[in-house]
Amino acid sequence: MVKVYSFEACPWCNKVKKYLDSKGVEYEVHDVELNAEDAAACEKLTGDTAVPVLTVDDKNYILGFDKAKIDALLGL
Amino acid sequence: MAKKIVHKDIVIIGAGMAGLTAALYAGRMNLDTLVLESGLIGGQIANAVSIENYPGFESVSGGELIGILQRQAEKFGAVIDEFDTIEKVSLKSTPKIVETEEHIYECDVVIIASGMNRRKLPLPEEKTFAGRGVHYCEMCDGHMYQNKVIAVMGGGNAALDAANFLTKYAEKIYIIHRSQFRADEVTQQRVKKNPKIEIMLQTEIKKLNGKGRLQSVDILDKNSGKLQNIAVDGIFVNIGVEPNTQLFKDELKLSDSGRIIAGEDCCTEIEGVFAAGDVREKKIRQLTTAAADGTTAALLAEKYLSKLKG
Repeated sequence: MVKVYSFEACPWCNKVKKYLDSKGVEYEVHDVELNAEDAAACEKLTGDTAVPVLTVDDKNYILGFDKAKIDALLGL
Repeated sequence: MAKKIVHKDIVIIGAGMAGLTAALYAGRMNLDTLVLESGLIGGQIANAVSIENYPGFESVSGGELIGILQRQAEKFGAVIDEFDTIEKVSLKSTPKIVETEEHIYECDVVIIASGMNRRKLPLPEEKTFAGRGVHYCEMCDGHMYQNKVIAVMGGGNAALDAANFLTKYAEKIYIIHRSQFRADEVTQQRVKKNPKIEIMLQTEIKKLNGKGRLQSVDILDKNSGKLQNIAVDGIFVNIGVEPNTQLFKDELKLSDSGRIIAGEDCCTEIEGVFAAGDVREKKIRQLTTAAADGTTAALLAEKYLSKLKG
């Protein structure tokens, strides 16, 4: 399952989610502002809490909106 | 996969205030209108926390204002694509060509409203610490600095608004600015009254320090010539903007500052190519003037199209 670490008011997070929606990709939203566990998981994954972070396996991740990298990771 | 060739009356490059206003007007004139945006819809105001100088709104966030405008433009038929990045343009050909990753758009009119990008911090360590203590979007990254000490660089309205916004997270904020504030008086008073903010005018960051992530900055006091080291967890850079005109530098005349040269009618030296908003060389660059440019460009584009189609 694709996970997106993000928060509501973050414009680049919303762009990542809109892109996944446009491609019909299902994903889980993990809100780093509302949920301390999600923030900790994001920090464990990337070493920081900068978002958006997209991951499929909790190992490889993409920080920020990078369409080419998202396409490559998800095989779009 | 071959790119799809599509014809449009108007392609608008950029979905900020100028581009979306042009799209609204073009849509209302039943013109087949496409808006291409590779960054955030809203451009520079996408991250604005509060806008207080746009007529008709006492206070509105950039996201809210641009959301209304986007809905208005789409309601009248404009299509906005924020995921298909432009690779090159050919403005002198007939028809004009805007080639993206996935399409070749042939069109009669191009309205360039590509706006400005935030200027990067001109220090060699910037690349090392980008996203690891050096940030350009307070709304995106501010949450990382709960109860931390941060610095905001810059002296304009955007920088001071950023500092005020960041006090919602940070314990202490330094505003570092190389000269005197350029922000309006209301905004200056707001930061001066904020107990979490310490203002350091006539200062400049000379070096970023840290292992893995930013831990401190070396600051030059321009009056005394002394360097001091200040511990900070992050800095938000707001030291101005530069025009987004890379795509057009071989096609259009640019000013010394890199903006497109076009008159108040937004017409460039190429017929059917208009420049609107902050990307156009002009004296005043405000949201209201961007909206005015978008209006002018769309209305004159329609006249040009009518003449073209007889």
